[in-house]
Amino acid sequence: MQKTDPRTVPSTAASTADSISIRGAVKIYGSGAGQHVALQNVDVDIKRGQFVSIIGPSGCGKSTLLRLIAGLEDADAGTAEVFGVTPERACAAKMIGLVPQAPALLPWKNVLGNVSMPAKVNRRADTLRRRIHGHVARPAPDMLDLLNKAGLADAVHKLPAQLSGGMQQRAAIVRAFGVQPDVLLMDEPFSALDEFTRESIQEQLLDIWDEQKTTVVFVTHSVSEAVRLSDRVLVMSARPGRITASVDITLPRPRSQSMLKTAEFHHFEDLIRDHLQTAWQENPMTGSTPIAAGAIR
Amino acid sequence: MSVITPEPATMQETPVTQPAAPAATTRSTLRKRLGFLRPAYWLPLAVLLVGLGILWSVTARDSPYLLPPLAAVGEALAANPGFYLANAWATLAVALVGLAIGFVASFVLAVLVSELPVARRAIMPIAVVLSVTPLVAIAPALVVAFGFGPEPKLIVTALICFFPILINVATGLRSVSPAVLQVFTTLHASRLEMLWHVRMPSALPYLFTALRVVFPLSIIGAVVAELSAPGAADGLGTVISVASSNNRLAVVYAAIFCLAIMGSLLLLIITAIEDRVLHWHESRQGAKN
Repeated sequence: MQKTDPRTVPSTAASTADSISIRGAVKIYGSGAGQHVALQNVDVDIKRGQFVSIIGPSGCGKSTLLRLIAGLEDADAGTAEVFGVTPERACAAKMIGLVPQAPALLPWKNVLGNVSMPAKVNRRADTLRRRIHGHVARPAPDMLDLLNKAGLADAVHKLPAQLSGGMQQRAAIVRAFGVQPDVLLMDEPFSALDEFTRESIQEQLLDIWDEQKTTVVFVTHSVSEAVRLSDRVLVMSARPGRITASVDITLPRPRSQSMLKTAEFHHFEDLIRDHLQTAWQENPMTGSTPIAAGAIR
Repeated sequence: MSVITPEPATMQETPVTQPAAPAATTRSTLRKRLGFLRPAYWLPLAVLLVGLGILWSVTARDSPYLLPPLAAVGEALAANPGFYLANAWATLAVALVGLAIGFVASFVLAVLVSELPVARRAIMPIAVVLSVTPLVAIAPALVVAFGFGPEPKLIVTALICFFPILINVATGLRSVSPAVLQVFTTLHASRLEMLWHVRMPSALPYLFTALRVVFPLSIIGAVVAELSAPGAADGLGTVISVASSNNRLAVVYAAIFCLAIMGSLLLLIITAIEDRVLHWHESRQGAKN
């Protein structure tokens, strides 16, 4: 992958410094007959402050795309830049907050200890961050205040094992917000939660996001979740993994629970379902379990 | 688990009904501590002990060279408690110092092995071969090499403790879930930070599993070394070997009794420490609540 030093790149830095940009990303797993093209020439541009969801069937490479931005994986071809710097450098500057599918809390630390953990590692990040072009400095958040907003006020001193799955995932979200990341990467964070919990946690996520104005890249397989949360939804298709549509969700914010029942909301849901269906029909998965587009909520 | 808090949409919905954590812990510990008073708890053990005692006494009466009468063992202990205490202390000291040496060596190696694949490939095969070699066979050789001083005893004890700790800690250090690793990778945590904040705490349950095996094992190591060094000055192993060659079966069993007590005490201590340190672990959560 191309290494870009923000201090030495003059003109292009200005254009990419304010967005996450993936150019011609290719990622291939395995080789020979077992070869699987997870990403084929994927181009993505995500502006600072946007909430973008990536939706698609299982195995379409949406998680791979997220891992590419997180610097957890290198592309076989193409480039990935996070606000003008390489993902690796973005990690070094703690510009990235990751919320994985499992809460991934440390079981021996209570909630407060867990959300304070990012501050204890990689202490040089702040210095590095200030030198990155276009970076907006923000004061460190009050973790207790953030926990409060996430509905974890009573759980501050509890261990993860004493919390429900929804509470654990809330703590994981607070932990990610705690580093004041430039971008929050969320990999199907609510997929293990029940419908009721999911809707309440979505609302809290939007509340905090509204305050922090962080860029969010949200991987999901739920159409209504994508519509409710996002400014823009990227629809992906599998084999080879590619982006087939980009839908701007122009619904007004704040988006309350009641909006879920409106016609406009359904309009966007149908639009995305159609895109998923089309992508599916163009390229149905061969030889494996047919996961129809209808299986996608 | 009984304390799964209901999902609160907002914070007002969760009233503070949970008692403060320390109070709850004290109360449940108290209940647990007093549990042994119930007959259902101690009666089966008491019945079995009395049965075994009768069986022992009958055997001892008929063939005194098979087992000494229990009274004789008690007399041997009562006649000279200072003698047994001094020798027990000598054995215990060897066991604990040897354990400490083995612990430090194996822990350092475990970190090395889990961090460096090269070290793993080089060290693990040797460690496995060492672990399957009977220590009883090595002990006499060490006595020849190092004489009747404390060195061979400490080496044998350290060796016997070495492998369980190495294998468990090495496994524990690598038991961190991929999701946790990803979170800390995106934070660009250094290897040392990862080791200290994530890997070592993750390895603690594995370490205690090893320690529960190794604490009693350290006494075995010390006794084996003492038995292999016939000229050694003290230690319960020496007492046993001298007394058995003099046909003083009561003294042998008195010493064995002391060893059993020592082993049990060590096990109790390590379990108590484990309960303290691993209060967060899922194996403790069920009991606590």
